[in-house]
Amino acid sequence: MVTGLGVISPIGVGLAAFAAGLRTGRSGAAPVRGFDTTGFEHDIACEVPDFDAADWLQELDPADLGRASRFAVAAARLAVADASGDPAAAEHTVARLRSRHGLIAIGTTMGESRDIDALVAQELAHGPAGMSPALARRINAGRLSVSIAHELGLTDVEPVTVPTACAAGNYAIGHGYDAVRAGDVDFALCGGADALCRKTFAGFYRLGAMAPDRCRPFDLDRRGMLTGEGAGVLLLEDLESARARGARIHAEVLGYGLNCDAAHPVAPDSDSVARCMRLALDDANVEPEEVDLISAHGTATKANDIAEARAIRGVFGDASPPRTVSMKSMLGHTLGAASALAAIGCVVAIGEGFIPPTINHEETDPECGLDCVPNEAVEADLRVVQNNALAFGGNNAVLLLGRYEEPS
Amino acid sequence: MTTTISDWSAISALGLGRPAFAAAVRARGTAAETATPPDPGRARLVPRFEIREVLGRGGTRTMDRVTALAVATAGHLVGGTDGERRADVGNEAALVLGTNISSAKSSMDFARDTLTQAKPFFVDAGRFPNAVLNCAAAQCGIRHTLRGPNATISGGRATGLLALNYARRLQRSGRAGAVLCGAVEEFSAERAWLEGAAAAPGALLGEGCAMFLLAPEKDDRPGLAEVLAVEFSVCAEPAGAGAALGTCVDRAFTASGESPADLWAIAGSGGAAEDDVLAGHPAVRLRSTDLVGDTHAASAAFALAAVLALAESERTGDARTALVTAVDRDGVVGCALLRLPSAGDTR
Repeated sequence: MVTGLGVISPIGVGLAAFAAGLRTGRSGAAPVRGFDTTGFEHDIACEVPDFDAADWLQELDPADLGRASRFAVAAARLAVADASGDPAAAEHTVARLRSRHGLIAIGTTMGESRDIDALVAQELAHGPAGMSPALARRINAGRLSVSIAHELGLTDVEPVTVPTACAAGNYAIGHGYDAVRAGDVDFALCGGADALCRKTFAGFYRLGAMAPDRCRPFDLDRRGMLTGEGAGVLLLEDLESARARGARIHAEVLGYGLNCDAAHPVAPDSDSVARCMRLALDDANVEPEEVDLISAHGTATKANDIAEARAIRGVFGDASPPRTVSMKSMLGHTLGAASALAAIGCVVAIGEGFIPPTINHEETDPECGLDCVPNEAVEADLRVVQNNALAFGGNNAVLLLGRYEEPS
Repeated sequence: MTTTISDWSAISALGLGRPAFAAAVRARGTAAETATPPDPGRARLVPRFEIREVLGRGGTRTMDRVTALAVATAGHLVGGTDGERRADVGNEAALVLGTNISSAKSSMDFARDTLTQAKPFFVDAGRFPNAVLNCAAAQCGIRHTLRGPNATISGGRATGLLALNYARRLQRSGRAGAVLCGAVEEFSAERAWLEGAAAAPGALLGEGCAMFLLAPEKDDRPGLAEVLAVEFSVCAEPAGAGAALGTCVDRAFTASGESPADLWAIAGSGGAAEDDVLAGHPAVRLRSTDLVGDTHAASAAFALAAVLALAESERTGDARTALVTAVDRDGVVGCALLRLPSAGDTR
């Protein structure tokens, strides 16, 4: 059961702002402010504007955390506050979590890569001895998850970082789901986080995978992705635990699938992606025709969108595949946070009864051949939603979320 | 279901493969020191580990050291010495690989190019995946055709135990049959710089990969070890590490129904307070840092490998238990309790 949602995103911080952004088709794209873009011919990305971790952290000093960990910890705080309904009750929820056994699983693509960029700049300027000890202490990937434990004062937890690249969010949510479902833990705080950095920007730029201005998934004239950043954290509890504390149940995780193309480091394999969707559908015990909406990986690169669309039509049929949207049109590609933020978007869509649009859309690429709900959100009664994630290394993770209905 | 380790391998400063590691553990050997950059540093490096010699020229042009260590170790478990694919590791096998920040060198080299080349995007696109933390796991999947779940796991010194628990859950939830599960760390000047800046000097830095084959559920052969329990905790302050580890150990015994009195071996990752666990207990004590140097993300996996190595060299008529511990400076604390079958049970 999904009982808490925490969002740090380019289109809004906190669930209400994020949901409003999805409904109105807000774009997070803007010129990069976080690092020097001199020498690049374009500089548009989706940063979290004006993020100040001190607004959210109550225990930890933000100076002890890299930007990705700050996002993750702030999102966890927000998820717990959301799970409490009334913000005044958040401390009560935290106290309850402290008395229970939990899992913290946070996915990431790059970890504290922005700090590593800064350390390299220091090394170039002053030699290795000039590297900041404070920064060097912040870079271990495990800190994305264990810092949440420290911030919330949780000691009876298993904190694990899951750096499975751009499928990491779904991987982490799946891990949380398995741990809760098996009764290993009473709750899981799971999701993903990444911070935009110069090396990621340069890497995607060099690959020719980046759009100069707008991210236009499934569009005939799409030019690539925009890099983004943020964090999404979900609180998962079993039904009994959720009921015992009178929690609002946003939605439920129905199941998920994982596989690996084991073929190409960066190009997706549509047959393998299709296999992953079937694994997820089987795991969730859902028939393809029951899926009301697909939240695509949808990076807006030429290769991704065609391969993903082909996989979707392979599983759901050519005639009328479910409507398939890409929230990356609004959020950019937030890497390790991407599938976590998209999963939260799916939960919002189920709960509020609308489909977030694929913005910046002019003409659908016939090779994709999907209804991507262009530009304007539409009202819809959604019971089952599928959230796709495809990563470097051919790592696929597909999550199925469903509306929770009280048994009558 | 129980989680059974049916095979393992290791590449470290003690050599390439299970026999070299096992022989050194049996002799309680410490790996040799090698002079390294940053001058005049010393570290415990994998001897003669030239990537193209170990893995061949195809597909290795842009491969970094951490990836090569993992790919080579996984190769030991996927194929026999004759190059034939093992029957019990099919194409749908899963891979769970622990790492810290993958390759510090790859990540820093890539960042350096954005600052030193004529244009900030004059970077080697072919090496971009090396700067992403799942590079080694992905390459293991690609090179060994492992199409199951392909997870990368991170948690400091506890990484190997976190990976083991992740792998157990994959199996228990029916998402994987056979799982290759391990952890990897490389040495580079960059890692030495970062480690030197972050922490007071400790054990000499080491490198390598230790990996375990977790048998599929349907395989009811006894294997080399059963994983009875894996427990974790978080300590807010270093001073609390011993108590946190004690809690984990108590829980592991309670969960498994085993008695601490019967414990045969305790193997540590080299973290704070690990030497004091079950103080006064007569169990054999091993420390991965003593054997292979400080392999950070791989340190608990090497501790587990050391237990398996010692068990097979000192077989007894009775089943025994062994404890593997990890305490990380960022606050993750964990342990795993294993049962090692008696000589008669072991294949």
